[in-house]
Amino acid sequence: MSAFWFLLPFVLLVVVWAVVVAVTNTPMRVFPQVTDVLAALREMWVSGDLFRHLGASLRRVGVGTAIAVVTALPFGVALGVSPTLAAFFAPLLRFSVALAGIAWIPIATLWLGYSDSAVIFIVWNAMFFALTYNAMLGVQQIPIELLRAARSMGTGRIRMFFEVLVPGALPSIVTGLRIGLGYGWRGLVAAEIIASSAGLGYALFLAQTEFSTDVVITAMVIIGVLWLTMDRLLLAPLERRTVERWGMKAVSS
Amino acid sequence: MTALEISGLSKDYVDAYTGEEITAIGDVSFTVDRGEFVSILGPSGCGKTTVLNIIAGFVKQTGGTVKVGGRVVDGPGPDRGVVFQSHALFPWKTVLGNAAFGLRMKRVPPKQREATAREYLELVGLAGFEHKYPHELSGGMQQRLGVARVLANEPDVMLMDEPFASIDAQTRRKLQEDLTRVFELRRPTVFFVTHDIDEAVFLSDRVIVLSTRPSIVREIVTVDLPRPRTWRETTQLPEFRHLSNRITELLTGGAEDVHPAIDPD
Repeated sequence: MSAFWFLLPFVLLVVVWAVVVAVTNTPMRVFPQVTDVLAALREMWVSGDLFRHLGASLRRVGVGTAIAVVTALPFGVALGVSPTLAAFFAPLLRFSVALAGIAWIPIATLWLGYSDSAVIFIVWNAMFFALTYNAMLGVQQIPIELLRAARSMGTGRIRMFFEVLVPGALPSIVTGLRIGLGYGWRGLVAAEIIASSAGLGYALFLAQTEFSTDVVITAMVIIGVLWLTMDRLLLAPLERRTVERWGMKAVSS
Repeated sequence: MTALEISGLSKDYVDAYTGEEITAIGDVSFTVDRGEFVSILGPSGCGKTTVLNIIAGFVKQTGGTVKVGGRVVDGPGPDRGVVFQSHALFPWKTVLGNAAFGLRMKRVPPKQREATAREYLELVGLAGFEHKYPHELSGGMQQRLGVARVLANEPDVMLMDEPFASIDAQTRRKLQEDLTRVFELRRPTVFFVTHDIDEAVFLSDRVIVLSTRPSIVREIVTVDLPRPRTWRETTQLPEFRHLSNRITELLTGGAEDVHPAIDPD
């Protein structure tokens, strides 16, 4: 039932798209018909391009996300614990939010060349600030009694981080991951257009130079579907198994 | 044997709104013997929770010392377990995980800590709930877990900060009786903050009565009621009423002039 309501708007969108393109007789170089996109998808599948681009993009998102989690969580948690650090870095964080990701592409390509590293850097950069900010917020929202209870049971620094601060801040961290991954995908596509020779963003860009609107739309659809899949198959279950299972849902905003 | 020794405790703080310096705790001294149940009562704003927070190491005192087992303590430590009014359970840990938390921090091997945790869960009446999460328990059961979590860690002193204040009246009675039963069985050292006179008399061996701010120890009342105690029998004893009335008088200030602390030690 929920799957039905989830898919319905997409089905309607495709129907409207097919009807409008058919009725107005739009030429393919302006906008492709649904069947054109399906054919392009099939062709990308058969030629293996689909998997080459998909693999490149997923790997970059994966590596970028892993680095972002490893760097942003400790930093965000530290900011959440220390009001002094938070006061010092908060203006810098706010300043960086607008610049996160895409605006760094020129610098990234100067430093790292037109390479995988440059794209991964952009994904990391796009996610870092959202994740840091939400981790900080999450830690600040942990009731002080919980921290006191942990300290009065002799909890050291490292265990405090893994056993109290991260799980306590998890509702907010999951929110940060959602927002961050959204930024990360956008950063990825933009960076691949400029700094790469494989990946969905690159496929999009290459097709545009050849006026292949069918491939452009196909790549866009794939990016959207990937994002939705990731959200529904990774983040939503993570949230169900932790935050909701623990009865902490109300804490997140 | 003295488990807890408080001498010359004082606490000043600056009011965040008015900016004026306030002395919350003037001069407070008392001791708690090993295996003794001592409550602290006082008019609102007298700083009794602050006394507990200083003992726990959560708040720094302005003057005076806190000794646990003869050693001066500074900052929180596993020798002082705290039961909070808000329960303060870890939502991401099961009942068993919460009860075993302190032992894990002490690096007690898994089998041993699970056995100990289960033993204390059974003691407080939570056997069978080991794999539930705190939010699936009622308020009363959550506080039972709060007690088990501290006792399983076997601290020198269990500090309890109005633990039953947010629990409905009927459940509170039951929890007080069960706490007394656990106390009589295991004889932990307990320091108990409350604003409920009957609760203090029912549970305690001695009751410390504080004056208004800046607080000093107004009197330490010895509660010599027979144990085991039950709410029905104990409250009917004339001595119970007498003690309860006496403390009420001390709190309302009608009894006599404020005088310096008289500590039996």
